[in-house]
Amino acid sequence: MYAGTLLAIDEINASPDGTVTIKPVAIDPAGQLAGYIDGARALLQEHRLSQVIGCYTSSSRKEVLPLFEKADALLWYPSHYEGFETSENIVYSGAAPNQHIVPLTRHLLKHFGTRGWMVGSNYVWAWENNRILREAISAAGGSVLGERYFPIGETDLADLVRQIVADRPDFVFTTLIGKSGIVFLNMLRAAAKAAEIDQQFEMPAASCSLSEAELHLLGDSASGHLSSSVYFSTIASPENRRFTALWDARFGHLGKASADAESAYVAVHLLAGAAARAGSAGFEEVREAARGMRFDAPQGRVTIDSGNLHCWMHPRIGRSRSDGTFDILMESPVALYPDPYLTWANEADDACGPDLRLIQ
Amino acid sequence: MSKAILKNFRGLRALVIMNPEAGRDTLERTLGKLGLEVIVVQPPGAWGGPRERFDLVLFDADSDAYTALDGAGLLGLPLIAVIGSEAPSQLAGAVRHRAASHILKPVRSSGIFTALLLAMNEHAARMRQHQETLALRRRLAGRRVVMKAILELISHCSLTEDDAYEWLRREAMERRIPMEDMARYTLELSTKSGVKQLRVTRPG
Repeated sequence: MYAGTLLAIDEINASPDGTVTIKPVAIDPAGQLAGYIDGARALLQEHRLSQVIGCYTSSSRKEVLPLFEKADALLWYPSHYEGFETSENIVYSGAAPNQHIVPLTRHLLKHFGTRGWMVGSNYVWAWENNRILREAISAAGGSVLGERYFPIGETDLADLVRQIVADRPDFVFTTLIGKSGIVFLNMLRAAAKAAEIDQQFEMPAASCSLSEAELHLLGDSASGHLSSSVYFSTIASPENRRFTALWDARFGHLGKASADAESAYVAVHLLAGAAARAGSAGFEEVREAARGMRFDAPQGRVTIDSGNLHCWMHPRIGRSRSDGTFDILMESPVALYPDPYLTWANEADDACGPDLRLIQ
Repeated sequence: MSKAILKNFRGLRALVIMNPEAGRDTLERTLGKLGLEVIVVQPPGAWGGPRERFDLVLFDADSDAYTALDGAGLLGLPLIAVIGSEAPSQLAGAVRHRAASHILKPVRSSGIFTALLLAMNEHAARMRQHQETLALRRRLAGRRVVMKAILELISHCSLTEDDAYEWLRREAMERRIPMEDMARYTLELSTKSGVKQLRVTRPG
């Protein structure tokens, strides 16, 4: 995320029209909640900033939000998340649930079957995604063979993997994050191989968070996992070729460019566009200018919805390859309206209902 | 497995009884994002009248919105109190009107979905309980008739108490009528000394 932000800032500062110059102040909360609070205080109160890009987990966002409300500042939140929030102090440049879990649910039920196993790290992202998938499976007349949660960072997953292989589901949906996710995919692949199951086609692991950043840590078992994301490094567009060239030259050691890198990059460009339109860096001026703001992003055109400050984005399903990238299996031909409360999307329906709003 | 909770409120009509300075804009905007149709009135509140259909009411508990609530037959709806003062004298109104959930002032966009979800689910649960209570009351009121019919069957048709009860139950089921109605019918025929028409036999 930080790397994506840096790329965009350098691009904007080097731009010949020079309407917007960004002088960043960077703070690393080291993934600790307390670090986020102290960091937000420092940025908002000492540095008196009104525009901040950051936060990955929902808990960190919820923790700092009151500080942003108090200070009249805008948080640009570049992570996909579970939705059910629309703050007037946040612009959400990552995918909303109707842009990641809902399309993945449809894909799994249509192409693999209705018998699923769900495993996740024990927090809200996993619970909510599993809730949506569970309801869709049950509406499709399928069954959830198992659902287990583990503390974040847990790597003692041998029993779980044994049980999954014994149950032989049509697919495994995982919301395990960090180290747990890597260990799990390795163990699942090995156990399936021992049981003579071609895991990537007969019992694929699917997630809404597996990205290029993790693939290069997976070693031999990097290939054949499904992921739902609005961005993959293999998107064929001039904007993405430019973005990946910049990324590979500077941050190639971190793996290929990922969705988090792209959404942070997009957030900075949207912020710069809104500030230029507003002629100010002030909180309300920028927020109002941001409504309807567009950017031709690596994933395609991204537009900030004028109502809920989430972005119209391009859902895609990818299958990972051993070289640390994804083959794109499916992509939405149009940008999809962000629906953080899943008010308009029909979660269980296979087709795009008439309520699903699309733009050309 | 327990039933899924209500969580999508698209298309519901919400009556908001609030003054603008109480944070009404945020409330209206957020309800709009959630897909609700919002109708706003200022307290004490006068609108199209009680004929207009609403699905829920959000009211400012610090204002005299209660006049509107009491006057217009809105009390059968899910009520959400928007609360500023936590003085018991103020909160008493929300208790008496059985607010199903609440939103604290200052109104922020977060918390509104929760209040809505709790109120709609709580109200649905109350409605189910209410229906159950009505059914139980109906049955309770009919008990006397059932007992009387059973005694009648015992004395005129030589059945045991258990057989008489079982006969009534089965006849009611076959005719698809409540047991109480079957009991009443039995008694009617009996007073016209026509109970034999029923061809009462001991249930096999």
